[in-house]
Amino acid sequence: MDADRIVALVSAAGIELTDRRRSAKGDGWSLSFSNGATVEVGDDGSARAAGKGARAVARLLDLPPAPRGR
Amino acid sequence: MKRSSGLALFSSTLALSAAASAFAARAADPPDGITKIETVVVIFAENRGFDNLYGHFPGAEGIDKASKESLEQRDRDGSVLSELPPVWDGLTAKGVTPPVTQAMTEHLPNAPFTVNDGKGFNVPLSVATHDLWHRFYQNQMQINGGKNDMFVAWADSGAMPMSNWDASKTDMWAVAQKYVLADHFFMGGFGGSFFNHQWLICACAPYYADADKNPAKPSISVTDDSGAALKIADNSPKSVREGIPKFVSDGNLTPDFYAVNTMQPPYQPSGNDAAPGADPRLADPAKPTTLPPQTEPTIGDMLSLKHVSWAWYSGAWQYTLDHGNHTPTPNFQYHHQPFNYYANYAPGTEARREHLRDAGLAGVSFIQAIDDGALPQVSFYKPQGNLNEHSGYADIQSGDRHIADVVAHLEKSPQWPHMLVVVTYDENGGIWDHVAPPKGDRWGPGTRIPAIIISPFAKHGYVDQTPYDTTSILRFITERFELPVLHGIVVRDRTVAAHGEPPLGDLTGGLDLN
Repeated sequence: MDADRIVALVSAAGIELTDRRRSAKGDGWSLSFSNGATVEVGDDGSARAAGKGARAVARLLDLPPAPRGR
Repeated sequence: MKRSSGLALFSSTLALSAAASAFAARAADPPDGITKIETVVVIFAENRGFDNLYGHFPGAEGIDKASKESLEQRDRDGSVLSELPPVWDGLTAKGVTPPVTQAMTEHLPNAPFTVNDGKGFNVPLSVATHDLWHRFYQNQMQINGGKNDMFVAWADSGAMPMSNWDASKTDMWAVAQKYVLADHFFMGGFGGSFFNHQWLICACAPYYADADKNPAKPSISVTDDSGAALKIADNSPKSVREGIPKFVSDGNLTPDFYAVNTMQPPYQPSGNDAAPGADPRLADPAKPTTLPPQTEPTIGDMLSLKHVSWAWYSGAWQYTLDHGNHTPTPNFQYHHQPFNYYANYAPGTEARREHLRDAGLAGVSFIQAIDDGALPQVSFYKPQGNLNEHSGYADIQSGDRHIADVVAHLEKSPQWPHMLVVVTYDENGGIWDHVAPPKGDRWGPGTRIPAIIISPFAKHGYVDQTPYDTTSILRFITERFELPVLHGIVVRDRTVAAHGEPPLGDLTGGLDLN
């Protein structure tokens, strides 16, 4: 899954993209969403959700359940 | 209609009392009889354009009165589309059964379509549908100078901006028929919820000082020469039929560092956790989406200055602080809490304890205050996420029924005989509307939204055609309680007048105060 696809799927669910930038290592994208979730997307197609809204985003992307944020 | 006038309270970081005494002048010449209103309640729902819900309301300027030109959408090169593109990824939200898939939305005519049309998609009002871009620059590009013919072209959802609903069986439709539907009420700012909540309380654009030297730097937008549209990327699809547009930088900040798209509050509840080891009541300021505390005067400051009681009631506020957020219920929305961006209401302040109140789950505490006759003179009520009618994560029916229930309690409240209630939406949610917004300043007004004026003093069964925007709510509050006028209102009034537009009203066009 690439970053554009993730943004489209999450945004369609009313969770707005709030920040998008290349990851610190330069090997993918870091996406932030209005519910507090961040998604690290590798250029290899890997994806991992974290942060407060991670569970909701993981469900939308059919990712493994993320640890619940506070 | 009498209109407020007066000097501005200029932007200042000075202490409020000093600023007020130095610069402010209160509204002059309030409308006759305005003091009959003793309690003001503002209910702020989410993301519906006027035509989206009330496009067929009897007597209103609805879709039936739209010109052919305003009904047709154009491609990014300005040519009229032969048909609408499909709703990319489908019309219904993930998990809805039966779904309306992308394939089922192919070849729609270039015209508005009704989502719950029994002969069409037949999706009921109880179903959440695909969300749409509702962003500061895209909204201006979609409005296209008032022609409203680029809503599809500059969207991320294909045909979805042209969707509307038959809402004639909803509870709030009946409320609108009983009282006043304002059919020329426009959102105060272009774009989304974050920005329009700021306009509701401040009539201002939040500011991120030195953003180019801070974590938010990559979120500074790149605009074209007009300054009102994003610069289109070289690899952007030329036609809407080929996909979502791409921009050089579609960020949260303007090139001069005003925050116009969603940023997170600097205080909890915020989408951003506290920095490790830091005060847990704060959000991490190093996160690129954390907005620094704001200092511009708000309507809350003005009310406090005049010792007028007020509160922002937020659904699921305390639940979220205590237990964290959960979806699909209550689905608390961090960026719908505008006072939580302001230093005057920082954690630990008396002002926060007094004015930022928990409305409870499903508004139960707010409803209790209504029933007890214990509302302050001015109340703002923000329903929790699943009850706010926002596309993508909420349906219309749940929020509509909830708000109608709140209105029913208000009608029975001991405070009702001298009450004004305004039910409106923060913004259009990216959805098309055919009426051109008044020409104003660089921040708005944006697309037309529904607004219902409810009061024992409301004209009954009336469609109010007075031009209003979100700041009209502030105009009424300012005039009623003789407050200093927020700077943004003064600028808005001047620019609207400079464009030769009729003045924006103060809601009294829907009232009979005599």
